[in-house]
Amino acid sequence: MHEMSLVEALMDTLLEMQRRQGWSRVSRVTLKVGKLRQVVPEAMVFCFAVASKGTPVEGASLEIEEAPLVSRCTRCGREWSDSESLGLCPFCGSADVDVVQGMELLLESVEVELDSAEIGRN
Amino acid sequence: MPRLVEIRRSVMEADEEIAHRLREMLDRRGVLMLNLIGSPGSGKTTLLERSLIDPPFRSAVIEGDVETTRDLDRIKATGVPVVQINTHGGCHLEANLVEKALERLPEDVDVIFVENVGNLVCPAEFYLGEDHKVAICSVAEGGDKPLKYPSLFHQASAVVLTKVDLKPYVPFDEATFWDDVDKLNPKAARLEVSAIKGEGISRWIDLVEGWLCAKRERGS
Repeated sequence: MHEMSLVEALMDTLLEMQRRQGWSRVSRVTLKVGKLRQVVPEAMVFCFAVASKGTPVEGASLEIEEAPLVSRCTRCGREWSDSESLGLCPFCGSADVDVVQGMELLLESVEVELDSAEIGRN
Repeated sequence: MPRLVEIRRSVMEADEEIAHRLREMLDRRGVLMLNLIGSPGSGKTTLLERSLIDPPFRSAVIEGDVETTRDLDRIKATGVPVVQINTHGGCHLEANLVEKALERLPEDVDVIFVENVGNLVCPAEFYLGEDHKVAICSVAEGGDKPLKYPSLFHQASAVVLTKVDLKPYVPFDEATFWDDVDKLNPKAARLEVSAIKGEGISRWIDLVEGWLCAKRERGS
């Protein structure tokens, strides 16, 4: 249950950006989360609703795009998606394997509303 | 009018920056830091107690627990410098907590053992600036743990199977355990220890010393 820690870090980033960039409100937050990051989306959404209360982020929808797991063998070049074979190529048996997708934990984008003063400036 | 702003940065960026800074500092000092991760009761503290009896390097310990200073007291008894972090509910350590703990430890050490909060899931997700993660699992937990918690076993530089003196008394599917470690992480060092009986401890100490020497050779 480390979702609350992730949400706390996310809120710090969002509120800092909101202050600096003069957003009046954040209405949508999109994350990209790799399959291997062991994040439970429902827990994340729940924590986000709690942590954003009383801030300019309150009421924003949190959208979580899951990045599927992809491992690639550096010897035979083949790719697969199986968390049970993260380190060993199921095709050629090589141990030279890279996880090329599935470890992401990214704040991709936000949808915001600007302060009227900022709209004038933009 | 709502506006879409692309950001594309890590959610944990601030903490990851601290972790990278800690790692650079430890690299400059030539200090090896290990992040020990395993379930509550897997034998992390007992392995440490045993490891701290006259090793060929100077050690320090950071103890992570939700509550109490019981592990701190156990490590203190060995005479090694130790700092306790209580997370008060937090299920894992983060780099910002380790940074504060490091300030309270002496600088003239060779190896810092960080005993993470007992948990096979969350601690694997937070980089602390360590050189290596070590997965610790006891035979009493059962042989199915690697595939159930693939992220930790995939990232660990070593897998230490503890309490092997209990093998005759508990159902532990050894072949499944090591075969699954192989599928997740064939490059990981593998050790079997009984900290109570002293079995396998010298191999574990040799592994840590080897990591320390390799780090210092790379740095010099």
